[in-house]
Amino acid sequence: MDINVRKRSQVQVIQLRGALRMGPAVDGLRQTMDEALSNGDTRMVMNLAEVPMVDSSGIGLLVRYLAVIKQKGGNLKLAQPSKFAVQTLKLVGVLNLFEIFDNDDAAVESFAKIA
Amino acid sequence: MPAEFSGVPESELSERFDLSVPADAEAIAGVVDALAETLEHLEVPEQKRFEIALAVQEALANAVVHGCGNDPSKQIRCRLQSNPEGRILISVTDPGPGFNPERLPDPKQDGNVYADHGRGVYLIRQLMDEVQIARPGNEIRMWKY
Repeated sequence: MDINVRKRSQVQVIQLRGALRMGPAVDGLRQTMDEALSNGDTRMVMNLAEVPMVDSSGIGLLVRYLAVIKQKGGNLKLAQPSKFAVQTLKLVGVLNLFEIFDNDDAAVESFAKIA
Repeated sequence: MPAEFSGVPESELSERFDLSVPADAEAIAGVVDALAETLEHLEVPEQKRFEIALAVQEALANAVVHGCGNDPSKQIRCRLQSNPEGRILISVTDPGPGFNPERLPDPKQDGNVYADHGRGVYLIRQLMDEVQIARPGNEIRMWKY
């Protein structure tokens, strides 16, 4: 899985490409999230447009970091989740835990509205 | 266990895929991708391919973590069979002691929603049409119609 991180308006935008599943993909994203948190970043957008599969390890990682980040006063928002990512998150009852946006811009701007 | 628990006689099933790999996360990604290719060759529609691939990913992940204790010296086996009507049977087997599927928590219950594990078998049951976990629990058989 490719993980691309950039910062826009004090928001970490994490672009993923490939299946988010047990193994190197989940391990790599966990490392990325831990690094962001250790730098004090708690405003994050994860773009899932090019993620065709999210397995239960990936779901576990997303909800765990959502909880951690919210406890720190931030948020983890999803942008452009693929059809299958949405279906999977819905199946296990966690889709409504996340704020979801049509694109990165809208997700990043939503942080400014509550700042 | 007989294969005809969904009403399909074993004699009608053709072997399409049979792979044994080390119990390793990277190896199972390769199995899932290869199985998805086989499904594409069988002209299984995209939605169904996605559902089967994710169910198999979960079954293999359970086999690696719970059946083999993440020990790559152990092997897990994945088979795909189908009948002329397009019914698909997938089985995943590991050498572990098995588990009791009745004792799994409901991941949608309050208190479990933010858990970082415990959704694999639930997902498999949602994605596949019929699921059977053979005693003592180290073989899972999953049907897609």
